[in-house]
Amino acid sequence: MSLPAAAARPAWLFAGRRRLDPIRVASLAACALAAAFLAGLVGLLAVQSLPAWRHEGVAGFLAGGRWFFRARTFGALPMIYGTVAVSAVALVLAVPVGLGAALFASEVLPPRARLALKTVIELLAGVPSVVYGLLGVLLLRDWMYRLLSPFDPLSGDTLLTAGVLLAVMILPTVTTFSEDALRGVAGAQRRAARGLGLTRGTTALRVVLPQALPGLAAAALLALGRALGETIAVFLVIGRRDNQLPESWLSAEPLIKTTQAGQTLTTKLGGSETFLAWGDPLHWAAIAGLGLVLLALVGAVTLVGALLVRKGAGHAARS
Amino acid sequence: MRRGAERIFWGTTALCAVGACAVGAGILIATVVRGADALSWDFLVRASSSAGAEGGIVFQLAGTLILIATALAVAVPVAVGLALAVSVYLGERGAARLRLALYLWNGVPSVLFGLFGLIVLVRWAGWGKSWLAGGLVLGLMILPTLTVSLAERIDAVPRRYVEAARGLGLTRSRVVTSVLLPQSVGGLVSGALLGLARAAGETAPILFTAAVFSGATLPDGVRESPVLALPYHIFVLAQDSLEPGAATRLWAAAFVLIALVFGLGLLSLPLRLRVHEEARDGGGL
Repeated sequence: MSLPAAAARPAWLFAGRRRLDPIRVASLAACALAAAFLAGLVGLLAVQSLPAWRHEGVAGFLAGGRWFFRARTFGALPMIYGTVAVSAVALVLAVPVGLGAALFASEVLPPRARLALKTVIELLAGVPSVVYGLLGVLLLRDWMYRLLSPFDPLSGDTLLTAGVLLAVMILPTVTTFSEDALRGVAGAQRRAARGLGLTRGTTALRVVLPQALPGLAAAALLALGRALGETIAVFLVIGRRDNQLPESWLSAEPLIKTTQAGQTLTTKLGGSETFLAWGDPLHWAAIAGLGLVLLALVGAVTLVGALLVRKGAGHAARS
Repeated sequence: MRRGAERIFWGTTALCAVGACAVGAGILIATVVRGADALSWDFLVRASSSAGAEGGIVFQLAGTLILIATALAVAVPVAVGLALAVSVYLGERGAARLRLALYLWNGVPSVLFGLFGLIVLVRWAGWGKSWLAGGLVLGLMILPTLTVSLAERIDAVPRRYVEAARGLGLTRSRVVTSVLLPQSVGGLVSGALLGLARAAGETAPILFTAAVFSGATLPDGVRESPVLALPYHIFVLAQDSLEPGAATRLWAAAFVLIALVFGLGLLSLPLRLRVHEEARDGGGL
């Protein structure tokens, strides 16, 4: 879903007339409802997670490396590391391929073929994540096991497997929104560049790409938001082993650790512990805390993306 | 750029595009080939037994349809209200804020909708796992899709239509009900189809709120009346069932789910393409 720029609205027709209008009341009620839900979601997670923040301290919860609910130790860092590692793998793989495909679609393909390609890719974006997960379980897991055999893995369920699967899942998002951003650059710019004798490739790289940069960044951020929040597919191939942290951050260790099983914020939330935790206020608070951390991560990424889209739209409008 | 470099550059981009499509084709082919053996009319109309190793998926399908129908019933009225607020009733600033809120809303991970439903509906309201809880949560999840799709179309209604209606002396509410909404209903329909496609395939929101693996048929009442659901069925089987009978049925179920989702997506396509045509007509709107 794109963030539509504020287009011409029929609202001007009604300026200055403020009579009682049942539809207007209903419409504003819907707004109140929406605001209540958003505030409720954030508020609920914040309030319910309070005991965990008090118990561990903010830094203790965020940077704690151990999660043992029977010992009442709740550190979220292994899950945060898992989420970041998995999403980083996905972005590193999906962004170059998606950008390449978007360049091809936007700069080379004729309109009809471009529409066909976009239709196929948008359909792909609609494939349910559980189906990706199934393919991960029955195909990708074995491939990864064979690929990683030099590292002597315990199984094919690793952070890397989850990252590769996520890359496939976010590829349509990266491609289609990057293509939108590239198409947003005015054709006159391309014609002017070609008229100056630049080749197609140079035009694309030196003229189109720089102007589309905010939109391209927004596409990557949107995809990152998806990757951070994806639950089901990752759940099936990540191994869900708790308390997996690299021993040192300033080495190859964080990279090597991706060839082992782990846990992300979402797979922890999607697991049976969420059901188990309800009876125990502190345990539940820790689960709600994971939800809050996830919401904050995704919210920040999405917000930056939205601001970039707006900036990009303003840019396109000026040129 | 030299000619050789040029060729390599565009060749690489073409490879990326072909690769992206090939992945899609691969997914489809893998699913169809593996599920074909189990796929039959019988599979669609029989209940599953032996933990998914035998029988069909009729109640999983029924459960999914119940969930998405509920989601639709919940989301449509609110989406109409929100879209009218964005396009008609709110001022520029308010509308911009609502747009941003909807964008953020759309980004909220689906598992958090599930968590929200678990806290508010399953526990506080005391419904337990219930089709209504699942439907409500899915409805919340697809709300931005419907709203934005409808609002885009309301904004694209040609200005002269509204001027003509005002010229005839119609009140504001009459303009909304007689001109703006009828002219933009296609946006609501395409948004609804897209939203339903997403809702049909989601597992995380119904994990805690609505779905069970077995022991449910059609729900009666609200409290403690869970449903079976197609994505949840696949999710559970994918985790622990690798005996051949279950595996074939698993792929067949995945194929049915993909077909359902693609069907809804393809239905929305003509409507979405028409939007672009009209927007071009309405040029200076």
